[in-house]
Amino acid sequence: MKNTRYFLLGLSAFCICMIGITTLNGSLLNPLRNAVGYVLVPIQSGINAVGSSIYNEASNLNRLRDALQENEKLKSQVDELTEENTRLRAEQMELERLRNLYELDNQYMQYSKVGARIIAKDSGNWFSVFRIDKGSDDGIKEDMNVIAGGGLVGIVTDVGANYATVRAIIDDSSQVSAMAQQSGDTCMVTGDLKLYKDGRLNLRYMEKDDDIKDGDMIVTSNISGKFLPGILIGYATDITVDYNDNLTKSGYVIPVARFDRLQEVLVITDLKDAGPELDE
Amino acid sequence: MNSNLKQIGINLILIILAFSVQTCVFPLMPFLAVYPNLMIILIFSFGFIRGSASGMCYGLVAGLLMDLSSGGPLGFHTLIYIWMGYANGIGTKYYYEDYITLPLCLSVLNELAYNFYLYVFGFLVRGRLSFGYYLVNLILPETIFTVVTTLVVYRLFLFISRKLEEMEKRRDTTIV
Repeated sequence: MKNTRYFLLGLSAFCICMIGITTLNGSLLNPLRNAVGYVLVPIQSGINAVGSSIYNEASNLNRLRDALQENEKLKSQVDELTEENTRLRAEQMELERLRNLYELDNQYMQYSKVGARIIAKDSGNWFSVFRIDKGSDDGIKEDMNVIAGGGLVGIVTDVGANYATVRAIIDDSSQVSAMAQQSGDTCMVTGDLKLYKDGRLNLRYMEKDDDIKDGDMIVTSNISGKFLPGILIGYATDITVDYNDNLTKSGYVIPVARFDRLQEVLVITDLKDAGPELDE
Repeated sequence: MNSNLKQIGINLILIILAFSVQTCVFPLMPFLAVYPNLMIILIFSFGFIRGSASGMCYGLVAGLLMDLSSGGPLGFHTLIYIWMGYANGIGTKYYYEDYITLPLCLSVLNELAYNFYLYVFGFLVRGRLSFGYYLVNLILPETIFTVVTTLVVYRLFLFISRKLEEMEKRRDTTIV
């Protein structure tokens, strides 16, 4: 009994020390994490594959019914879209010509991406962190941006040989430097556990005179240290002038990526090159 | 010796299984708004059934697994888990087979303690003060789910634990 108590105290002290050390220097853990990853990731991938195939079977039956109805609707839509498509193609050609003329390269299109599958979520309900089945062996590095469904999902925070950990932008501690696409006015998109249940993110630090309106596209900003510029985050909504100082505005962002049923994501393998760190 | 290794193996498999179900299977179920916490049930059940020392071992292994697979600092989960294993081990003297009320109370207490720990060190330190909101929307639902799951899973753990004890006894008699 005595022994157990000493063990408890010893282990607690050890844990506290490790928390301190690894907070300061997380890379110390990488070999250990890799070792655990080698054992766990195959198991997690397997369970995930089995689980999702069972789930998909079950929901397929349901979907079949909806699909038949939808099919009718879609057929009529196809006709409309074909017509629209021809028109847009003509416009696309024009756009390309104009772009060449202005030498405006749309960088967003040129990012090279790697597809990955989500194999596990952080256990518990407090944090929005998940794990994907690609790691440093596939060229994933820390701070790479992760997108899905045309919108920003998160950022790689930790990489093992065969897995990587991604912190979603809806996580309570996530902060993304952003801007309104039209006006270029900067703002900050922060995750909040409370808002996430309503499918929203916080939009903060806008000046009162900034030209950001409800419905504006919010994209990652040029000045962000880790996020590549011009990735769509979502659409601004409910923007109001802050009551207490009357100088700033704040509002919410409805993200484009659907976080509740994320299964596959794309990792952008280009890293933001912010130049050397600005030290004074 | 052989059966000793076997016991450790079975325990390890149990922990990894619980962990995988927790991280891979629960998130697949869209109707679960919050997930029950299997790891906690595992740790406190075994701590309660088998005593402080085993509880602590369980906490240590499960905590290291959690810490190494999530990105945070090492020891954050381990610390609370070993304490949980140890504290529930103290209740062993009130342990009585097939008696479910006490384990259920313990599961509530453990859930509250664990979530409170996460809130204080994960959220309060960053200035998120509205504890009431988190209590109603996160902690209470998770606690309720966990209690319900305990009702189902505890019997299973009890069964496994009994099998393990039998193995131990058989080993003792062969030595004597």
